[in-house]
Amino acid sequence: MRFDDVEKPLLEATIGRALRAGGEFAEVFVEERHSLSLSLDDGKIERASGGHDFGAAVRLTVAERTYHAYTDDVTEAELTRAADAVAAAPRAAEPGAALPLGDRRDDRGLHPVARPPHDVAVDEKAALLRVADETARGHDAAVTQVTAAYVEGRQRVLIANSLGELVGDDRTRVRLTVNAVARRGDVIQTGYESVGKSMGFEILDEEVAAGLARTAAGKAVTMLDAQPAPSGPIAVVLANGFGGTLFHEACGHGLEADAVVKNASVYAGKLGEVVASPIVTAYDDGTLPGEWGSAAFDDEGVPMQKTMVIEEGRLRCFLSDRLRARKMGLSSTGNGRRQSFRHVPIPRMRTTYIAAGDATPEEIIAATDRGFYARSLAGGQVEPASGNFVFGVAEGYLIERGSVTTPLRGATLVGNGIEVLKSIDMIAGDLLVKTGMCGKDGQSVPVGTGQPTLRISRMTVGGTA
Amino acid sequence: MFETTDAVVARALARGAEGAEAYAERGVSRRIKVYEQAVEQLTAARRKGVGLRLLKDGAVGYAYTSDVAEGALDELVEGALGAAGVADRDEHAVLPLPAAVLPGLTVYDERLTAAGDDDKIEVALAVEQAAFDADPRVKVVEDTIYADSDTEIFLTSSTGLRGSFRENHCYTFAYAVAEEDEGVETGLSFSAGRALDDLDPERCGREAAQRACELLGATKCRSMKATVVLDPFVAASFFGVLSSALTAESVQKGRSLFAPLVGTTVAGPHVSLVDDGLHPDGLASAPFDAEGVPCRRTVLIEDGVLRGFLHNTYTAHKAGCPSTGNAVRGSYAAAPMVGPTNLILDGPTTPRDEIIAAVERGVLVTNAVGVHSGANPVTGHFSIGINGLLIEDGRLTSPVREVTLAGDIVGMLKSVVALGDDARWIPMGSILTPSVVIEGMSIGGT
Repeated sequence: MRFDDVEKPLLEATIGRALRAGGEFAEVFVEERHSLSLSLDDGKIERASGGHDFGAAVRLTVAERTYHAYTDDVTEAELTRAADAVAAAPRAAEPGAALPLGDRRDDRGLHPVARPPHDVAVDEKAALLRVADETARGHDAAVTQVTAAYVEGRQRVLIANSLGELVGDDRTRVRLTVNAVARRGDVIQTGYESVGKSMGFEILDEEVAAGLARTAAGKAVTMLDAQPAPSGPIAVVLANGFGGTLFHEACGHGLEADAVVKNASVYAGKLGEVVASPIVTAYDDGTLPGEWGSAAFDDEGVPMQKTMVIEEGRLRCFLSDRLRARKMGLSSTGNGRRQSFRHVPIPRMRTTYIAAGDATPEEIIAATDRGFYARSLAGGQVEPASGNFVFGVAEGYLIERGSVTTPLRGATLVGNGIEVLKSIDMIAGDLLVKTGMCGKDGQSVPVGTGQPTLRISRMTVGGTA
Repeated sequence: MFETTDAVVARALARGAEGAEAYAERGVSRRIKVYEQAVEQLTAARRKGVGLRLLKDGAVGYAYTSDVAEGALDELVEGALGAAGVADRDEHAVLPLPAAVLPGLTVYDERLTAAGDDDKIEVALAVEQAAFDADPRVKVVEDTIYADSDTEIFLTSSTGLRGSFRENHCYTFAYAVAEEDEGVETGLSFSAGRALDDLDPERCGREAAQRACELLGATKCRSMKATVVLDPFVAASFFGVLSSALTAESVQKGRSLFAPLVGTTVAGPHVSLVDDGLHPDGLASAPFDAEGVPCRRTVLIEDGVLRGFLHNTYTAHKAGCPSTGNAVRGSYAAAPMVGPTNLILDGPTTPRDEIIAAVERGVLVTNAVGVHSGANPVTGHFSIGINGLLIEDGRLTSPVREVTLAGDIVGMLKSVVALGDDARWIPMGSILTPSVVIEGMSIGGT
């Protein structure tokens, strides 16, 4: 069977079979994904790989428990077996009921694709990597190594459930990343830049590739002159763009409703309370056209939405999927996402950002007598239960008497989500969204993170000086 | 699935490939999550698929499919040929020859296959109950998981290499949240084996609870140079990150700080680090690696001296040495890379009590945050967040939080002065390690 051959009667039969021994909700998720990845390393295109995934999952919820069975053999017999596997799960309940499936919703055109990547010759994609390699190496003699990767994917999903909903979504994503390594004597530094969209190949050309390469190389070379960062509490100015990963980690994960309903988030029970400085308003938005973290629907067939999570410092909304929304007595916010049919949907962010403020980046730097300027972050981790987080700084500088001065290496930002949000005292207007892959519970999904340049009046920097 | 792998290789050769290797997997798995003594989530999975690596005009192409039906296999071959068409020629891209003898190693236990869902649910419930029973301050066990998998591997290569084995394993995981006076701390633990009887659910739950509770009331501490004791959980995450710098792939691409250091001292004289793909207790053990080369034991660091790196067939050909059997792949969807199997940190040991007693001022680190993002295997620099217990005048005193630990990896390895007698397997990465004592580390606090 091919993806387009999966029809209503089979979906309805599978849902009915899954519910026959009881349950509140049953769903069939069918997915097909074609992907291509090319990577250049050490001047050579050496990893070229094409992939084809086709599979289906049956999910049943009974008294807030989830039973999930999947197969990558999409046949009537295997779907029947999967439905039987969830129906046989140990429990006692009344038979469940399913509504007949309604008309299929697709909402095509929310994230248009001008040049489907599949129609573009592989050589054109490979050329981008070679341009990135040459540009980064040509940028500065200190650049000794470059890796670049191109990834494209087209994921089609078909979601049918016992509420009678039938939803299709067709998602195309394209991404190019460049990593540069610079060396001088014993000092090695790395720089990274990327672009990714829920759009087609139209977002990329050789000029874009060269621009990413110059930025990545520039970061690596600049950091060669970096001094060891000092340790201790200090004012921190976070630059726009990648700085948003701090909000994603330090706050966003704590707003995901799976942690909230288990009371394993510091934000649990705090709706309406002040969790941030009054100048902070923040959103999680799956509707931004063409953004990397956007789609027409989430992976439970709920339309994506723009969700205000913090309004002028007060906590307004959690990010939920169907299951957690039901537990909280609310509606899903369209945050039920899954890496693939092999994973169950869980609450996940889409594009999370702090809204623009009134200041300019220059004013913020000028108003800082002594501080740490984090231009780009390397990634980090948080414990949602406590809100404690730690972040590596990829590119950082000292701020002295209102000016950005010495580059600093090896700095880590350590703090607590709510404490840091409350300490934000200046926000600029230069909102910028960056893309990444977010991992949680063994699932990786595309997300956007963003923020304008902002200042945290005081937080702990860990360095080696 | 030899019928699939044989057919794929034959078609690739018929379409003009100089060499081809098909790697197929099929298997079943279970994942059970319990919460407040009831099943919260149960996943039953059936997986299969095939990956094709081929050589065409001296370049490598890779493609995979989860669909092994007739038409899809032709698409697979065309996909790999298309990929090879854009890749650069590479003289070191060769497929391994069949081994004379494969190690006789069993990594399959039929007792796990015989176990039913009810038994597995019981195990998970016992883990969670043990966490609650261990300490009343454990209010939530956010994650309690039982998971297992049973996988058969089939490999056919145009070099004549043809092999298959079956592997299964199971594990439990607990992530406990403890609360007291507004303070919240978390702790985790694992248990792993190849049969339910190998698991220790009570210890897994109890330990997760203890690890959370002992951090309650943590405060920030002053910045200082001090001795740190990494407990086996933290040591394992460190050595896991470090191992990527000990692969020949990193070395050959100029991405390893260890590249120029073979034959030199890179760690304290107490430290030996071995990769052992045949260890009878290692969950990463297998008769052959991801491209059919027999697994073996490889010494990386011996008494503090760097002896060598991990190789697959590609890096070995480039370096002019034999493969160490360290080709790895996450699944059939990925071409082989280089990576560790079971890592074993070994050396003379000291009783853990004596280790603590000998520290005048330091920190016993029981939790490290940001090791993967904060430790850079290229530059050797690391800066991570830690939690743990202060050690003052040879005694464990109060818990500390929001503390950073920073330095360079080789400097830290050289400052290892002792290993504990508490070595254990940490299943995340399959690492056997004791507590590690390091002198003169920079601790960043207030």
